[in-house]
Amino acid sequence: MRTLTRSAWVIFGLMVCGATVAYAQVPDAPTVDFPYVGNRTAVWVVANLHILFAAFILGAPIFAVVAEWLGHKNNDPKYDRLAKEVIKVTVILYSMTALTGGLFLFVLLGTYPDFSTWLIKHFFLVFAVIYPLLFILETIVLYTYFYSWDSMKGSLKGRHIALGVLLNLVGMVTLFVIDGPTSFMNTPTKAAEGVSLIEFMETATLWDKMSNFSWMPLNLHRMVGNVTFGGFIAGLIAAYMYMGAKTDEERSYYDWMGFVGNMIGVGALLLLPFMGYILAYELCDYDASICPYMMADQLSMFFEMQGAMIGLIFLASNYYIWLSLKRIEGVEKIRMSGFVALAVLIMPAVMGVAWKMFPPPEWQSLIFLGALVFGPMVLARVPGLKNFTVSAFTMIKIGFLMIVVADAIWMTPHGFVATQGLATHDLELPEWAQELALMPAKNAAAFTLVFLTIVNYIMYNRAIKQGTIIWGKIDFASQFVLIFLAFSAIWTMGLMGTVRSLTRKYYHVYNLVPDFTAEAFTPTLAYSAWWITAVTIVFFAVVSFAVFVTLRPGGSKSVVPSGSTVPVEAK
Amino acid sequence: MANQSFTKSILKKTTIGLIIGGLLVVGAQQTHFPAIFQIMFFLYAMLGSAVFILLDAPPMKRLEGIKAVAALLVFYVLLSGMYIAGATILPQFDPTIEAGKIEKVLRMRKARSQQGKADELITRAKALDERAKAISKQLASLGAAAKVEVVESASATSGAASGDLVALGKEQWELQECYNCHKLFGSGGKKRGPVLDNIGNLMTSEQLREKLLYPKKWKAEGFDKQYKKGKMPDKYRDLMFDEEVDALIAFLATLKDTSVNTPKPIKMY
Repeated sequence: MRTLTRSAWVIFGLMVCGATVAYAQVPDAPTVDFPYVGNRTAVWVVANLHILFAAFILGAPIFAVVAEWLGHKNNDPKYDRLAKEVIKVTVILYSMTALTGGLFLFVLLGTYPDFSTWLIKHFFLVFAVIYPLLFILETIVLYTYFYSWDSMKGSLKGRHIALGVLLNLVGMVTLFVIDGPTSFMNTPTKAAEGVSLIEFMETATLWDKMSNFSWMPLNLHRMVGNVTFGGFIAGLIAAYMYMGAKTDEERSYYDWMGFVGNMIGVGALLLLPFMGYILAYELCDYDASICPYMMADQLSMFFEMQGAMIGLIFLASNYYIWLSLKRIEGVEKIRMSGFVALAVLIMPAVMGVAWKMFPPPEWQSLIFLGALVFGPMVLARVPGLKNFTVSAFTMIKIGFLMIVVADAIWMTPHGFVATQGLATHDLELPEWAQELALMPAKNAAAFTLVFLTIVNYIMYNRAIKQGTIIWGKIDFASQFVLIFLAFSAIWTMGLMGTVRSLTRKYYHVYNLVPDFTAEAFTPTLAYSAWWITAVTIVFFAVVSFAVFVTLRPGGSKSVVPSGSTVPVEAK
Repeated sequence: MANQSFTKSILKKTTIGLIIGGLLVVGAQQTHFPAIFQIMFFLYAMLGSAVFILLDAPPMKRLEGIKAVAALLVFYVLLSGMYIAGATILPQFDPTIEAGKIEKVLRMRKARSQQGKADELITRAKALDERAKAISKQLASLGAAAKVEVVESASATSGAASGDLVALGKEQWELQECYNCHKLFGSGGKKRGPVLDNIGNLMTSEQLREKLLYPKKWKAEGFDKQYKKGKMPDKYRDLMFDEEVDALIAFLATLKDTSVNTPKPIKMY
């Protein structure tokens, strides 16, 4: 027995030694070098795709719940159908969000293992507990919301809408939570004066890290961006379905859906420039050297491209209004005060000067703004001046002219160079025209674009109320406009996401965790454009497939219930 | 009939666009805008022309089935091409310039990091291995009695360590991009920070160091707004090593151009 015991101990000891030796000989994991594109681009592409799908599944339910509520309030089944169809597509795309999220995590861990581990450890509770729980909750609520649609009707409709509201709340919280680590990478929390960032990180709590400079601005920008995104994707779905529609009733319905989607998308779009300013302002406030990097150095031409995209998006959204007006009977009777047209014409110059003399937050510039915005309303009521009006089409044409002028101002750079260091006399604005490149002029241009779009929409609504809108008879080109809007908005999102990531410069976490890899440089705008386009195309391919599979454009439809889902002529 | 009318509209609006574009170009030339801006104004005039032509376009015929799908695909290709082309036409920043700069900025930090130390060990091991191989080769070719010449390879990290401190400081000025906020020798800056051409006469080296590492301790006269907003970053005590700070201070201390009006520094606390 003793011999047996001793032998057992010897064998055990030999096994332990053997295991130790074997373990000591296990080779290190090979370093990952993503084929063809490199590690940085691989992470970029997967992250961008994930964000696009996530934006849709967060933005579409906002749109859907509002539509469902309107349908319930007005007893109008077309809104309910709209909401259900959008959620149907959302449910399919939800799996893509999860897939790209998992892929993002694996690619990140494989390509930047040290940094990924560092970040996960600093936000362990978020990544390991809070975020997964929220994701599970969102899954449960989303599927319950969708699959109970037909059963929760009549007296239970209110509860179904409440479920939709809960879905949006969970989505919003999820967005806010994941924006914590994201914004932390851009603006890691600063300590009090005299305490270094590195010292502070050793004792900072999770809340300290989450509530950094750019957290809330990023939350607001993404929330508004998601609504814009949801609206334009609804417009895209409507365009596909309109193209595939076989009957006049279907075309009427999807024409109306495109109108609603576009209205929501453009409505939210009007707030986006200001949300973007707030985010950029906070980044610059955090570290003044970020501002010249964005506006004067490596990223300056990225913002030129943004200016071009904004101009095209505003042109397209106003062109949709133009095409839409053309199918309203009685639109020729709709008129707008000529003073509004004058206000639109002089706005860039007046507000450019006003904001130069009284830069925000000085209040005096509001006097000029108030005069331009409210002055026409007052003057239009003055006897003798009431008859100074322009037709709807003239007003829109003036609007188009000012979109081109405003965008030209927005796009005028200080110098046509990729970085100020290379600026020479024959590439820079002349001394007397330097103001065109400064923020007052840009703000005035942005405000003009927003103001004239609002004016056009006011006129559009007036035309719908006073005229007779013939749904289903809109110029077919309008469907390409809806697709153009969705594509351009998504492309711009990709561009801005690239800019936000690049403001970290050669850091994983700005000023804290450097990126020592060879890829830690700013890529060219051309290279970025290729990948942004590729991601946009992939996203469109997946969404198109989802729309085709769930809604089947031109396929057989179930019987339209009584209480028609086809929009009646507006009167 | 409609097509004739549209054709007339195209001709009319293109002509108007060309006239307006031409006037803008002439006006821009007279007011000293460089050629690139003249081209930009002309292109915007033509864009306006294109927009107004589009407004007059006759309604598009409805497409169905395979024609609609084909039209969609062509549309996506056109959009993609347009955006890539647009981005490519704009001036491009040369990443190799930045890559070189980044390597210099992070050199010391990398050397002192775990990865840097591992990389250095690997580099040294490779260098030793090559020397050993060179020695063996020479022994084999010349025989045991021959004298072996060992050629020392140039140190991979030479140059900077033995350079002039002020020159290193000027390099730090470029690497930390101080020129983005401070004008010096007539270039750089956008009034975010004071001109520094005479700072060497206004502050001692210790005071300069204090300002760099603890910006709130000093304020430039006339820069109350910027001081209040904390525009001068306080990140340098985390980002710069002592040697880099010493070099930059040494450079700043040499700036003694009394002909340039440098704002007076005010001690705050």
